[in-house]
Amino acid sequence: MHPIFEHQLLQTRRQFFGNVGLRAGGIALGMMAAESGARAATTERVHPPLPGFPHFTPKAKAVIYLHMNGGPSQLDLFDYKPRLHQFFDKDLPDSVRNGQRITTMTSGQSRFPVAPSKFKFPQCGQSGMRVSELLPFTQKIVDDIALIRSVHTNAINHDPACTFVMTGHEIPGKPSIGSWLSYGLGSESNDLPAFVVFTPAWPSSGNGQALFTRMWSSGFLPSRYNGVALRGKGDPVLYIENPPGVTSTDRRLMLDSLRRLNQREFDRLGDPETQTRISQYEMAFRMQSSVPELVDLSNEPKHILDLYGPKATTPGSFSHSALLARRLVERGVRVVQLLHRGWDQHGALPTALKNQCEDTDQGTAALVMDLKQRGLLDSTLVVWGGEFGRTVYSQGTLTPDNYGRDHHPRNFCMWMAGGGIKGGVVHGETDDFSYNIIDKPVHVNDLNATILHCLGIDHEKFTFKFQGLDQKLTGVEHAKPVMEIVA
Amino acid sequence: MMRSNSKALNQAPLRLLTAVATALTLAATASRGADDLRYNRDVRPILADTCFRCHGPGVQKAGLRLDTREIALKPTKSGAVPIIPGKADESEIVRRIFATAEDEIMPPPKALKPLSAEQKNIVKRWIEAGAPYERHWSFEPPRKEAPPSVEGPNFRINNPIDAFIADRLKREGLTMQPEADRETLIRRVALTLTGLPPTLQEVEQYLGDTSSKAYENMVERYLFSPRFGEEMARHWLDVARYADTHGLHLDNERQMWPYRDWVVRAFNDNLPFDKFTIQQLAGDLLPNASREDLVATGYNRCNVSTSEGGSIDAEWIFRNAVDRTSTMAETWMGLTAGCAVCHDHKFDPLPAKDFYSLYAFFYSIAGPAMDGNALLHEPSLKLPTAEQEAKLAALDKQLNETNSEIAQKYQALAYNDPAEVAASAPEKPADDPLLSLRVWLKKGGGDQAKDAPADLKPLLQQAKDGKLNADGEKRLREHYLKTVCTTTKAQFQPLIEKAANLSKERTALDSSIPATFIFREMPQPREAFVMLRGQYDKPGEKVEPNTPAVLPPLQKAGARASRLDLARWLVSPEHPLTARVAVNRLWQQVFGTGLVKTSFDFGTQGELPSHPELLDWLAVTFREGGWDVKGFMRMLVTSATFRQSSRVLPDVLKRDPENRLYARGPRFRLDAEQVRDNALYVSGLLSLRMGGKGVRPYQPPNIWEPVGFSGSNTATYQADKGEALYRRSLYTFLKRTAPPPYMANFDAPNRESFCTRRERSNTPLQALQTLNDVQHFEAARALAERIVVEGGTTPQDRITYGVRIVLARKPDADELAVLQEQCLKHLDRFQRDVEAARKVIQAGESKPRPGLPEHEVAAYTLLANTLLNLDETVTRN
Repeated sequence: MHPIFEHQLLQTRRQFFGNVGLRAGGIALGMMAAESGARAATTERVHPPLPGFPHFTPKAKAVIYLHMNGGPSQLDLFDYKPRLHQFFDKDLPDSVRNGQRITTMTSGQSRFPVAPSKFKFPQCGQSGMRVSELLPFTQKIVDDIALIRSVHTNAINHDPACTFVMTGHEIPGKPSIGSWLSYGLGSESNDLPAFVVFTPAWPSSGNGQALFTRMWSSGFLPSRYNGVALRGKGDPVLYIENPPGVTSTDRRLMLDSLRRLNQREFDRLGDPETQTRISQYEMAFRMQSSVPELVDLSNEPKHILDLYGPKATTPGSFSHSALLARRLVERGVRVVQLLHRGWDQHGALPTALKNQCEDTDQGTAALVMDLKQRGLLDSTLVVWGGEFGRTVYSQGTLTPDNYGRDHHPRNFCMWMAGGGIKGGVVHGETDDFSYNIIDKPVHVNDLNATILHCLGIDHEKFTFKFQGLDQKLTGVEHAKPVMEIVA
Repeated sequence: MMRSNSKALNQAPLRLLTAVATALTLAATASRGADDLRYNRDVRPILADTCFRCHGPGVQKAGLRLDTREIALKPTKSGAVPIIPGKADESEIVRRIFATAEDEIMPPPKALKPLSAEQKNIVKRWIEAGAPYERHWSFEPPRKEAPPSVEGPNFRINNPIDAFIADRLKREGLTMQPEADRETLIRRVALTLTGLPPTLQEVEQYLGDTSSKAYENMVERYLFSPRFGEEMARHWLDVARYADTHGLHLDNERQMWPYRDWVVRAFNDNLPFDKFTIQQLAGDLLPNASREDLVATGYNRCNVSTSEGGSIDAEWIFRNAVDRTSTMAETWMGLTAGCAVCHDHKFDPLPAKDFYSLYAFFYSIAGPAMDGNALLHEPSLKLPTAEQEAKLAALDKQLNETNSEIAQKYQALAYNDPAEVAASAPEKPADDPLLSLRVWLKKGGGDQAKDAPADLKPLLQQAKDGKLNADGEKRLREHYLKTVCTTTKAQFQPLIEKAANLSKERTALDSSIPATFIFREMPQPREAFVMLRGQYDKPGEKVEPNTPAVLPPLQKAGARASRLDLARWLVSPEHPLTARVAVNRLWQQVFGTGLVKTSFDFGTQGELPSHPELLDWLAVTFREGGWDVKGFMRMLVTSATFRQSSRVLPDVLKRDPENRLYARGPRFRLDAEQVRDNALYVSGLLSLRMGGKGVRPYQPPNIWEPVGFSGSNTATYQADKGEALYRRSLYTFLKRTAPPPYMANFDAPNRESFCTRRERSNTPLQALQTLNDVQHFEAARALAERIVVEGGTTPQDRITYGVRIVLARKPDADELAVLQEQCLKHLDRFQRDVEAARKVIQAGESKPRPGLPEHEVAAYTLLANTLLNLDETVTRN
């Protein structure tokens, strides 16, 4: 914990609870009502930013990170390779593979036959960006997105790659990007967590890999910066309702007393965890009002629900989560992460990938369009991508209509839109086989540096002293934001 | 399993080195004398942090590599010799680190890693002393050094632990906190040793004990409470990955709770850790293995398993063996052996061949690869009680007698088929199939055919077709005369019924007898191979069961090494890891963090110990003391280090936020099970019944359902009734793919794999649970009833009583005032709104005690709910 920052944070919190909160259990309620639906004024924040943050005027205030878990095929979605058809079922030239490692899942194959994408890639929008026919809705937002075709990562399997893309390290124990952001920038919402996570349902045809809570956990940062997962079914948040007979007023009365006693405990022992607990109880109380309000879609007009598609009102669906993501950002939440599973197409890729796209495409595009029409896209960064890409050579059966693809960390596609990002831009280039990057590589650390940059943070200066080292999200090797796509 | 393989597969060396470097800081110590330099402790951290990144195993700029002595002593491309032992001034690296010119100095200024003067001197002095490298610390045998002698008013030395701790504190310029007050201590000890808080009586007894041994007396009571075994088992079962479902695909129920109960008993009986090890790893191979020895081998069966269609036996035999091997290696040796499944371990000296030699110990389990989605996955062991055994024998005897009586009667039976009358007889031959066997046979059993036993039906068809042979006729005749024929069956009927009833009773009794998964060896072991790149179908070199070359050699009892040899090797005095890993976990349990923080990894990727000499002293002491777990726990909790106040001053907090130096007592949040058990216990709801099948307490809807396969027998959750709702959390049914939310919410693992260190998060979702979850709120109601009934008549007395029950201490005046103000407001409201009061006190299945004023119980329920949510309550202070 950075001692000076932490001290100042504690002071701020102490003032809030000591001077405002204690006298005014009632005021907290009133304040909450007044703030509902609006971003709280900075001066009244429960979770203020660190001193000196942001480092410069940010383009974006919030991030919505759409993580397509399993490794979406760049070859079938965004990395258009028209010349591949000549190579159908021919061996991937050794000069391309160049002895690179492959996973154990295909390393035993006797040959590596090229599988061209069976999908069409029409030119779309003003920019003429090529996007697969599997993503008809995304095709409509190309002029708002910057497509990076040259992202690369260190890891070749799911667990380390997921950990890496979200925490900048393959070894568990480091904070997730959402935790870093809520630590540095605090929250503009006093009644919702700074960092909210959805794990929506995915098509049964999808090969669902496990998710790891470390993808939204705070690592060595204080645990209050953990992402809070909202449930698709049942209460959106477990135990959110008071027991029968207990009203919100009863609860407030009780929590006032609890807070005063906990504050005495802190004064006695000085353990910062006690301070965290005080703030988490207050957050819990506010969530009891804010969460039901958040998930109540009765005021969303029909045209908005239509925009998100037929599953917009189905709890636990991707579209529903996307709609809630917009509502969260509107309410001042700093980071929203949607982790959609099932993108690990080792076999029968065309069918399964189509289902994955159908499950997410409309909600994804709707989110960008909806943010835009509300004027929120300028201040919200939307990120789309997985943990790695997929191989040009087929795993298992190969016919023109059926193939599978193995993990490929050497290049994959991600896109960003909104806050601080140029629209209609394509960055980076891969070879004819989408196997090697030939221009403008973007390492996952560079990507994360770019996200921080959009939020007004110099990633080099965003450190946390832990175990004697100045830890960074972006690792020890030099990372740099991709300025070419920043507006 | 596959996950951890892949983890290492992809680790970029550079990043790892950074991680190692990161880990070292705590171990870096304040200045020591020149003769006291040690490579691992003093030198390697500097090199790893500043040099290895460019001159290590991953990258060798200028052909220079410093992590291996032989290479570092040879000239590099430039011809300069990096290290010349004993000649620091001639060594190139000394010249470079002391250089001043920007293009000469190392590390280069742009790396932003300047060495301090002290660091430079350490490197220099080390080379001067001959540049001795050391093997990775944990592979060296632990050395028991005499505890340092430390004196001073700020240090209390109860036992050698304190000497080591104080010595370090003194060098860091820190001091110990004063001893915590008795109320804090008894609660700390009770929760540490039993997972439950002290009762009022226990507190009073301790406070009233004026003897000098009061603390020790108090500790003894908890060490010998049956709750001790339950608390210790809870930690071990995280390591053993125990759960009540198979874990994959259907995730059906499995039966191995007798293993869980064995673990509880083992700790309560203070089974020495070496025996505890041997029984779990190889109890089946012990001479005259007892039932307990066999039950203990369930440790090796706790791995997840599957029966998913399309699964390949060979793959699952492989995967299960990999899981067992990795879990064993992590449990006893703190080695992340899983990495070597696919390739030689990149950072620890564990080649794939060594991994597969270990794996060969676990590769020849008897029984099928697939669990069949069944409750029992062979090999398993039935566990009848003596009474059940006697009852079974009695039933068998009766059954035998009845059957032989039937046989005798049949032997004696004279039957003349009425259809077979002489042609001359006056009466017509009978044509009733119920009287005549011949008629019945000819009709293929007629109307009765459908009631015939399945094995006779084909015979009846043959009879109808006239194709019945003699043997078939014999069998049908017996059946006919005993159960069909009107004139004969009457004498058999009561006996047949009796036999059926006996047999039904026997089946019922038999199926009520629990069984448990055990480990047994195949008569002929399978041949084991290195599996190339971790693929089950790519056998490489053949391997024999053996232990890793980097560790002391294995003593074999026979020609082929057995699991028993392996288990004995682990607990042999020569083994450098087992005792260290074991004491470190116990330390972690007591102090919140291990001396090696990465208690799952003692390899080069793990952290160095914060107090290496103490860790070694503890390890050797534990082993030499006969692996006495209770004795070891006693030593930890009676140390002055443990007994310190947990109060932390701001400057110490800045210096040591994680309390790795122990300048204060341990303070951390209770574990998931403790949070729930504590609430149930202080409210009087907790059932202390021990052992048995997993129970199903309250659970919100839609926890199992969204993940459950429709064909699974754990697809829908039905909570139990009555006492089962209030058992200790240790006994909660654990479904791996949807663990109980009250556990997951407080960081309990899902038991899919080995877990040796839980996170301790602090979230609003935890607050919501302890505020609103029915099991916590019902506990608040029950606590309120205790307060109202037992706590006197005035609010002041009652609140004081409530605080004493929950916190083991009296409230001070300010606290009392806060709570009293709150309570009076609740009383006032519920007096006005009796309907609300009635709802409040209805929480949960247990009925409110009759005859108490509803508004009072409701008001005190909210008060109790407050007490149960205090930071102090959910924390071991």
